[in-house]
This record gives sequence, C-alpha cells and structure tokens, in this order.
Amino acid sequence: MTHPSFEAQVDAYLDGELAAVDARDLEEHLAQCPECTRFRDERLTLRSAIVAGIPKFLAPASLQQSVHAAARSSARRRFSVRNLWRPLALAASLAVVALGSWTLALQRSAGEALAGEVLASHIRSLMPGHLTDVLSSDQHTVKPWFNGRLDFSPAVYDFAGRGYPLLGGRLDYIDGRPVAVLVYGRRQHVINVFVWPVARGPSGGGKGEPKTRDHQGYHLLHWMSPDYTYWVVSDLGVAELRDFAHMLQQADSTATVTLPG
Amino acid sequence: MRSGLESSELARFESVVLPHLDAAYTLARYLTRNVHDAEDVVQDACLRALKYFESFRGEEETSARAWLLTIVRNTAYSAGRGQRGQDATEFDETQHSGAVADEHPEAALLRADARESIGRALERLAPEFREVIVLRELEGLSYKEISDVTGVPVGTVMSRLSRARARLQEALT
Repeated sequence: MTHPSFEAQVDAYLDGELAAVDARDLEEHLAQCPECTRFRDERLTLRSAIVAGIPKFLAPASLQQSVHAAARSSARRRFSVRNLWRPLALAASLAVVALGSWTLALQRSAGEALAGEVLASHIRSLMPGHLTDVLSSDQHTVKPWFNGRLDFSPAVYDFAGRGYPLLGGRLDYIDGRPVAVLVYGRRQHVINVFVWPVARGPSGGGKGEPKTRDHQGYHLLHWMSPDYTYWVVSDLGVAELRDFAHMLQQADSTATVTLPG
Repeated sequence: MRSGLESSELARFESVVLPHLDAAYTLARYLTRNVHDAEDVVQDACLRALKYFESFRGEEETSARAWLLTIVRNTAYSAGRGQRGQDATEFDETQHSGAVADEHPEAALLRADARESIGRALERLAPEFREVIVLRELEGLSYKEISDVTGVPVGTVMSRLSRARARLQEALT
C-alpha cells in the first residue's frame, strides 16, 4: 500500500529532487515492491499526459510590443531622444522587433518540434523496460550492437571514471528515422544521448557550443559536431549536464569518426 | 528618485527579463484562467519588474525567470484576479505553443480526449495546487525556486505537488 509521504518521495525522486541516499533506498524498495513500482509507473504516465495535454502559451504580439515600449519609454525619459525622431525610431524598432521575432519564431518552431520529439522519447525511455535495447556498460559491446541496425556507427565512450557510467544503448526513431541513443547514468538520473549523422536529418539548427532548452523540468542540450547531431536530455542539473556534454564533445573531437560509405 | 532606466540597464532588462515573457504569460493564464486578465497581469508585472529591476542582481537565467514569475504571481493575487472563479475561458488554439501545434494530426486526435480532461482538471484545482503544477511541469522550476516564488517551505512545495498530482491522476482515471 502507498502512503502520502511515500508518494511525495516518489514524486521528488522522479523530479530529480531526492537526495542521493534517499533515492538509493527508494530504488531498493521499488525493486522488490510491485505495488510501489506500479504507483511510480502511473506517475510517469501522468507526466506524459501533462506534457501532452497542458499547453504552454505564447505571449501575444501586442503584449510583447507594449512591454518593449514600456521598457523603452522608461529609458527614454532619462536619455531623451528628440521629439521629432521619436515616432520614427519607435516604428523602426517595432519593425525590427517584429521581423526578428518572426524569423526567430520560425527557427524556434522547427527546433521546438524536434526538441518535443526528443523529450517524448526520453520520457518514454524512463518507463520500465524501455530504457535500453542493449544493456552493457562496456563500450566495446554497445558500439558493435549498433552495427547492422543503423547505417552509421556512432562513437561510444564510457565515462564511469568521471561519474557518468555508460548504461547501454537503444534504437529510437526521431522525425521518422532511426537514430542511436546512448544511455548514461549520473547518481539516480538518466541521461539520454541522441546521435545521428548531420547530413541525414533535421538538426534543430544549432552549431558549436551546446544550446540549452528547458521543458517541463527536463534540460535539453543540443549541438552539432562536423559529423553528428547531438541531443542530450536529462532531469540532471543543468551545470552537470553541461559538464557531461563537454566531456562528450572532447571525446568526439579527439576521435577520428568515419562514416561508412 | 530616478525616473527610468539607464540605457545599459534597459539592455540588461531586455536580455534578462523579456526572454521569460512567454513563461510569465503562461503562469498568468493558468492563475487568472482568462486571456484578458492574463495580459493585464503580465503588463502590470513587467512595469513592476522595470521599477525594481535595479535591485535585481541575479545572473543565472533561471533565477531571472523565478524572479519575474514571483512578481507575476503576486500581481495576479494582489489584483484578486488569481482567485476569480467561474469565468474560465475556452482553449485558444492559436496561442498554443509550437510544440503542441506541430503535432501530427493523428496523434493530436488520439490525445484530444486526455488533453481536454487533464486541462479541465488542472483548471479545477485550488490555486495553491494549480500553481505548483504550472511552475514545475510547464516552467521547469526546481523545488527551491518554487519555494521562492510561492513563499512556502520546500517541504510544503513537495507535498503540495504530490497532492496536486494525485488529484490530476484521479481525474484521468
């Protein structure tokens, strides 16, 4: 049977807010209690339902403009522009803002759709039995496993020595194409790393340094190497996730990656 | 007393606070449950934010979001608009975020039922439960940040969030 304080513990655990010691105790308990495991699974389902069913809203353009205008007039009162130029300058800045936010919105919606898919896949992977197809902390087992299942061969590294053990890998589908997913652990957190070749698919439009997004309490990091597109998702703190991304980038840049012809 | 921001402060305001306008509007929408009230609340909140901006020295992006959301929440409640009861408006499809709007039509159809009921269940929750769900699930705030925004201890955030989820779960089954 479950109990309110226990339920709050499971929620905090799934939110990544439980102390490591408590999380370990909870995991041990979950491993031997089907009823509590079922409760956890219900909460995972609820979480997907919330992600799918409760929308975020975009501030209307009129609101954005009035806030911009208020901010500017607040500044202008101090550093006054000549009255004559004021309407012109305002019109010009509104036009720039409108154009800028329009192109941004276009890029953002393509990136958002992809980010949404990656996040949905991450959440799905947290349900029992969905995390890994090949369960191994040995990179020499995981890498060959992808051979024959994908037409590219992602580099696989184990960062166990630095606190991010490789847990395994799986195939997933993003935007209708098979992609490689490498699964890493960090304390009680799961990190999914999505990899696919740059030339093959949509990438979400980012280069070089990882770009961070936050969705429903998860952090998504995205970047592109010369050969691969990377998406990293976890509920781990964003600072640690960035460290992890940099490790991955370093490892990737020192390896020679070849795409099978 | 100063009458406005220095231009460097304006640039800082625009880069630190304005990126969170969608988050501010989303919170206001769920607190007021009304499109027009939500716009008024965000506008008032931004004016307050401008006024107090010089005292804000947070550097992390997330703390700027929590700071703005705190002002939005206080504005909504002080105007009594967060409490307003029965005038919930229908969904405005044009204002859904891209992530929802870009969904495949079949998936959207399959999900329409669940969405309607969980959306309605959220609207029916008492404000103190509704706000923790929005702050956690939609805005992605940590328990500590939610505690800062709502002014209750972290332990209370944890138990409210759990009770709120239990109620949403009941609504789904």
